[in-house]
Amino acid sequence: MIELHNVSLSYQHDTPALNNVTLNIAKGDFALITGVSGAGKSTLLKLIYAALRPTSGQVMVDGLNITGIPVSQIPRLRRKIGVVFQDFKLLPGRTVLDNVALTLEVLGWGKNDINRKVYHILKQVGLEHKIKSTPLRLSGGEQQRVAMARALVNDPRIILADEPTGNLDEASKEKVLEILKEANIRGSTVVIATHDRRLMGDWCKRLIVLDKGAIVENTDVS
Amino acid sequence: MSHEKKKKRPKLAREGFLGRLHYFIERALLNIRQNVLVNLITVGTISLAFLILSLFLLIYVNLERVTETWSERVQVTVYFDRELTSGEVASFSSKIRAAGGVSGITYVSREEAMRRFAQRLKGQEKLLQDVTPETLPSSLEIRLKRHMREGEAIAGFVARLKSMPGIGEVQYGEEWVKRFSDFMVVVRFAGLLLGGFLVLAVVFIVANTIKLTIYSRKDELELMGLVGATRFFIKVPFLIEGVLQGIVGAGLALLLILGAYSLFLHNADFLLSFSQAAAGLVFLPLSHCAFLLAGGAMLGFLGSLTSLKRFITL
Ligand SMILES: Nc1ncnc2c1ncn2[C@@H]1O[C@H](COP(=O)(O)OP(=O)(O)OP(=O)(O)O)[C@@H](O)[C@H]1O
Ligand SMILES: [Mg+2]
Repeated sequence: MIELHNVSLSYQHDTPALNNVTLNIAKGDFALITGVSGAGKSTLLKLIYAALRPTSGQVMVDGLNITGIPVSQIPRLRRKIGVVFQDFKLLPGRTVLDNVALTLEVLGWGKNDINRKVYHILKQVGLEHKIKSTPLRLSGGEQQRVAMARALVNDPRIILADEPTGNLDEASKEKVLEILKEANIRGSTVVIATHDRRLMGDWCKRLIVLDKGAIVENTDVS
Repeated sequence: MSHEKKKKRPKLAREGFLGRLHYFIERALLNIRQNVLVNLITVGTISLAFLILSLFLLIYVNLERVTETWSERVQVTVYFDRELTSGEVASFSSKIRAAGGVSGITYVSREEAMRRFAQRLKGQEKLLQDVTPETLPSSLEIRLKRHMREGEAIAGFVARLKSMPGIGEVQYGEEWVKRFSDFMVVVRFAGLLLGGFLVLAVVFIVANTIKLTIYSRKDELELMGLVGATRFFIKVPFLIEGVLQGIVGAGLALLLILGAYSLFLHNADFLLSFSQAAAGLVFLPLSHCAFLLAGGAMLGFLGSLTSLKRFITL
């Protein structure tokens, strides 16, 4: 599903953020990418949804080589990928409903279908009662779950979650992981990037450890 | 991923061109409602810029009208030292018309010239004692179209007249025409300069205000791209918004100036009272209003388009 072949990436000209990374995440995998802050986890995810292009090497996603993908093809790629951003990227002026609906609007869904689907996914993350709130009036954990709902609402083939348990308490962490696990069971390939290795549980099928932009461990733990 | 093939794709509610357009307009209106303050500031700034421009146009249009009535005094007279037969009048008239730019020709017979002369000297009839119609010339008075009433054009016309057989003396208020022409050159040059400067200022102001409103929403632009929106999909609502801002801004300026016009300016004849025909100001002709509105729409569109280019990284 996701393949990187000898991928290196440098911002500007200093030391590379990713150094000769090769990995293969299979369809239906649940992968955990860990590493200390600055190891290159977010950078790696950005390569997958084509927010960055590798300096060298090849990136394949869902059978498509996206290394030099023309800009006009990027939307099609991103519609297959749900991303939970490290900084959420929620629109503060819009309601929770509007924020989550954006993913479906982009696909051209009708209003009624959107409302039904958004309500459904919000119920799944336990926030249906906040549907009319704006993100500014939500707690950090609630914002996290709205970001999650936006990424999951169109049942994407791939889910990339960047630090999805960031600063959540144990109960919220469990909830978030539960949601991702369910998505994985329904068929999505899930990749979590986190600095927190303790997150690893029996549901994890692949563990990838990054250090200074290089892979130091890549094990199939399923 | 077999489950995905089975999953039914929900009907796209807004397919087809009209459906899309409807969605985009709805989106644009929603955006405006969600950013009322920014939109108010933008429209306010645009209308202020257009207010200045339309005020300038109003003044210019009225100045043109005044000079138009002034220039009506320009006329070319061909003198003859004998009475013309009606056949001669007709043949001269058609030859003169063929020279181009003529709006009217009147034959003034010796009798008529005498009558006018007498009228002008009313109260001093003594002076008329020795004057008989035979001592006065008959003449053809030629009125010219607007574009012929100045400098080169009129001189060329007169030269063409003089080359016609049978035409001797031709007169026109040469001094006056020259001064009028010089004045018009200055007016046009100043108008062009000031107008050009104002248009530039308006373009600059509108483009930059719109850039600010789009800048204030750059996160939204970025996010739309990240969730898989095409460039087209992201842009269109913003373009519609820009066009609306431009039209509303220009329209507001026109309304304000129309209000001011009907309150004070339409009977401001004291301003131009030296010319009877030009008493009072006229409002901008419809074509100018349409031009301003279209200009607003276009500026809004282009302003949005160029700003969007900067903020959509997709
Ligand atoms: N936009 C950027 N411009 C320049 N350097 C960057 C940029 N983004 C990241 N970097 C650098 O690249 C390296 C990897 O950053 P990255 O964000 O991928 O780390 P991370 O593993 O996600 O860390 P964290 O756990 O703190 O999120 C870091 O050294 C960082 O300073
Ligand atoms: Mg990161």
